[in-house]
Amino acid sequence: MADKRITIRATRFDPEKDKSPRLQSYDIPFSDDSMVVLDALNYIKSHVDGSLSYRWSCRMGICGSCGMTVNGTPKLTCSAFLRDYWPRSVTVTPLNNFPIVRDLVVDMEDFMHKLKSIKPWIIRKQEIPLGAGEHRQTMDQIGEFRQFSQCINCMLCYAACPVYGLDNEFLGPAAIALARRYNLDSRDQGTKERLPMIAHPDGIWECSFVGECSVVCPKGVDPAKAIQQTKLDTTMRFVLPYGNRE
Amino acid sequence: MDFESYDVLVVGGGLAGIRAAIAVVEANPRLKVAMVSKVYPMRSHTVSAEGGAAAVLRPEDSYETHAFDTIKGSDYLADQDVVEAFVREAPIEVIQMEHWGCPWSREPDGKISARPFGGMTTWRTCFAADKTGFHMLHTVFQTSLKFDQIHRHDEAFATKLLVEDGRCVGVVAIDMRSGKFDAITAKAVILATGGLGRVYAFTTNGNICTGDGMALAYRAGVGLKDMEMVQFHPTGLPFTGILITEAVRGEGGYLTNKDGERFLKRYVPNKMELGPRDIISRAMTTEFEEGRGFEGAHGKYMHLDVRHLGEAVIDSKLPFMRELGREFVGIDIVHDPIPVRPVQHYMMGGVDADISGVTPLAGLYAAGECANVGLNGGNRLGSNSLSECLVFGAAAGRQAADYVSSARAPGSNPVGAMLKDETARIEAAYLDKKGGDERIGAIREEMQLAMDVGAGVFRTREGLEKLTKQLGTLRDRFEKIKIEDSSRTFNTELMAAMELDFMLEVADVITYSALAREESRGAHSRRDYPERDDAKYLKHTVAFRTDDISPRLEYRDVRITNFKPQARTY
Amino acid sequence: MSAEAETATRTYRPPMGAGWWTRKGHYFWYMVREFTALPLALWLLWLLYEIQRAGRGPSGYYPPNSTAFVIFSAICLPFALYHSFTFLKLAGVILRVKLLDKPLASGVIVATMFGTWLVASVVVGAVLIGFGR
Ligand SMILES: Cc1cc2nc3c(=O)[nH]c(=O)nc-3n(C[C@H](O)[C@H](O)[C@H](O)COP(=O)(O)OP(=O)(O)OC[C@H]3O[C@@H](n4cnc5c(N)ncnc54)[C@H](O)[C@@H]3O)c2cc1C
Ligand code: SF4
Ligand code: FES
Repeated sequence: MADKRITIRATRFDPEKDKSPRLQSYDIPFSDDSMVVLDALNYIKSHVDGSLSYRWSCRMGICGSCGMTVNGTPKLTCSAFLRDYWPRSVTVTPLNNFPIVRDLVVDMEDFMHKLKSIKPWIIRKQEIPLGAGEHRQTMDQIGEFRQFSQCINCMLCYAACPVYGLDNEFLGPAAIALARRYNLDSRDQGTKERLPMIAHPDGIWECSFVGECSVVCPKGVDPAKAIQQTKLDTTMRFVLPYGNRE
Repeated sequence: MDFESYDVLVVGGGLAGIRAAIAVVEANPRLKVAMVSKVYPMRSHTVSAEGGAAAVLRPEDSYETHAFDTIKGSDYLADQDVVEAFVREAPIEVIQMEHWGCPWSREPDGKISARPFGGMTTWRTCFAADKTGFHMLHTVFQTSLKFDQIHRHDEAFATKLLVEDGRCVGVVAIDMRSGKFDAITAKAVILATGGLGRVYAFTTNGNICTGDGMALAYRAGVGLKDMEMVQFHPTGLPFTGILITEAVRGEGGYLTNKDGERFLKRYVPNKMELGPRDIISRAMTTEFEEGRGFEGAHGKYMHLDVRHLGEAVIDSKLPFMRELGREFVGIDIVHDPIPVRPVQHYMMGGVDADISGVTPLAGLYAAGECANVGLNGGNRLGSNSLSECLVFGAAAGRQAADYVSSARAPGSNPVGAMLKDETARIEAAYLDKKGGDERIGAIREEMQLAMDVGAGVFRTREGLEKLTKQLGTLRDRFEKIKIEDSSRTFNTELMAAMELDFMLEVADVITYSALAREESRGAHSRRDYPERDDAKYLKHTVAFRTDDISPRLEYRDVRITNFKPQARTY
Repeated sequence: MSAEAETATRTYRPPMGAGWWTRKGHYFWYMVREFTALPLALWLLWLLYEIQRAGRGPSGYYPPNSTAFVIFSAICLPFALYHSFTFLKLAGVILRVKLLDKPLASGVIVATMFGTWLVASVVVGAVLIGFGR
């Protein structure tokens, strides 16, 4: 156990020097069975090569910053155990479908704009004053949207979505799941306001239901489900006589 | 030179920072706010908070008991007027969060539910399953998106406070993406940079919790208050330090030693698992020392047992804990006890600020974990911190909004010169530096291990003195570091070096403050002075930077209103 | 990085090769699913043509007499079955049905769908065979 080793291959790309990314190989000790891919990267950065760049913070699967492609699959590297790969080597590349900024860091500004565009906040015709206390909401009502509120914005679903890869205009899995999270919240009255973004040609209708987003989602959000349900709801709004009411 | 200029600049995109930014624009919608954060706001470490936020909402509860619990929990080092104001504001803020969409767990009648928590005498910890911080952070962040007055500078790292004529007028920040140095100016600056857990090796804090804001203020001449008060949480997972929330005990979990005994009966017989964190962490450490802990590959540990709660309760109230157990330990907490040991968790100390977040430096405000407004004293009660971020984030925001209505805009001349100096400093110290051979990673690891040993759950004079020497040596070695990364684009090694610089600074303050407090109070437990000494130390420590190695320490009386200090037994 | 801190930093956008769908089993089956629509569409077109021929009068035309059509139908059947199978499986994801205020498990919805499909096939088959007599 003491001298078990593992080979990590990581993408290196410095826009100031390189034309395109390349892989660099590191052979490091696999000293503890609890080690995750992120620990391996941290070992490299601390002891072998300080210039390797990647994002991380919480190392407990909740901040959403450490998403990378591990042996071809989008993963949170803080929850991807080396023991599941060893003795094979581990290849870590940036998330697919995003522009690469540096090494394992991708540009996610596009999502930040999309997130804002779906108005991810409670919209009400009439705000109730703070003094009136809380809105009443039952656990069953929370259950309606709970799943879609678990999104940590880790971008694994975008990396897994070929539709997004082929056309970056697509609103994408997480943004639509979050729109649905608010639409289904009993406190919200903004479904109609969100409709133009959602029912836009680059919105739900662009999705052809590959379904891989839901496979890779580490938080069980099931964005594919959110999108298909929204398609049905939106159609119903259109078809049913009073479908477009609030 | 022209610089981006705002009315208010918030450093930090965690719960406190975002709450402050919203408070500014709510107070005055015409104000322009900048929010600078070294990570995208939703990555801030607030996201990892699990247990809940304390607020008196149930009719059976009262402000007085919340205040008393907090003050007793603080071992009487809290400023009582601050606590009394806090407990009244907390419920309003929790309701505000509800209106913004936070999915608080509910009672059958649809009202916000509450759970018991350590050191609280009644149920007052509001929660959103066991991902409270995650839900609160995403809720305020997403809500903040509707305010166009809030201009975000995401992934921008603040390196220095700009001070002009004794007034804080902005920061120098590096845009990580381009590597560009910017002066971002404002009439007022609110620091909300969070904790410093990464000073320790074994911590629940994320990689970004490096005490930056505290070091920034300290270097600008502002005092750091009660920095010896570092909280150790009893239940962290060995190896990773991932937190197992106190809610596990709140919901009825047991702590047992290797003899299967609920050992807390010897330490906090009336409260048992619901005792306060400092006392339980000491109890566990004592049990370990007396040979009653389990021995594991990653050190000694105890069992936290929830098997008797049953799958239904666990899945509805503690689903994330089950997920963490499965993912990170390979156990199912429904069938197996959870291995836990004390872990660094929270910094009670911080930037010296008053009840409205006002610091002694004009134009500078502080809120959240990086601030010490006098709420937490020697030991923070679990679930008071999220509420603190809301209450004092909002207070600082409102106060800053008020201040800028009469403050003049900063002049650009001195700012330009300051930006040039700061750029030159960083280039000389890191980017263009030649000939160093010390690895950042090595120095950081040695500092963290030294802090774990020297300034941990129990402290002694010898241990702390040794620690000051170790830190001094590490500081010397830091001068000889080598930066391998020569790129300006997303240079995380440069950030790590600057964070280490900040951490060495605050580690020093912790150590010297701890050395000077010759008593045991709250989380600060001195083996050589095991008793609390109200005659000498019912006082805040305030540390100021000097050109010497050690800070200058001042003491300030604790404000007592209605609760006379008593012996603290549970 | 915010909108106003716009910089000229160059990024690298990796090309998405035409063979992306061979990278993963899941992508491959998705392509198969989408592809099955093609024979289905062709079959329907042919059926329309056959119906139109039958409509020309009582010349005794009976579609199954066209060997080519029978063979083509036999080829299309597995595609149709696979397509229906994937479609019905989705129902569990899309439909939200509540019974006594409790959401129905998606497994139940899918099972009901398949059940209905089976029953409908049997009924339609029986009717056709009945008419054929
Ligand atoms: C695992 C865990 C569980 C917890 N559970 C609870 C709980 O149940 N209840 C409770 O009340 N409290 C809990 N706490 C404590 C509480 O979560 C924190 O004290 C609180 O969230 C701190 O919030 P903040 O806004 O002050 O800082 P953070 O959320 O840490 O945010 C700091 C912000 O400052 C920014 N920043 C820092 N330095 C710089 C710089 N140099 N330049 C630019 N930006 C910078 C960061 O990017 C970040 O956006 C928990 C803490 C942990 C670690
Ligand atoms: S939906 Fe899932 S995979 Fe997509 S960003 Fe959210 S948590 Fe990540
Ligand atoms: S480091 Fe936060 S999700 Fe992995």
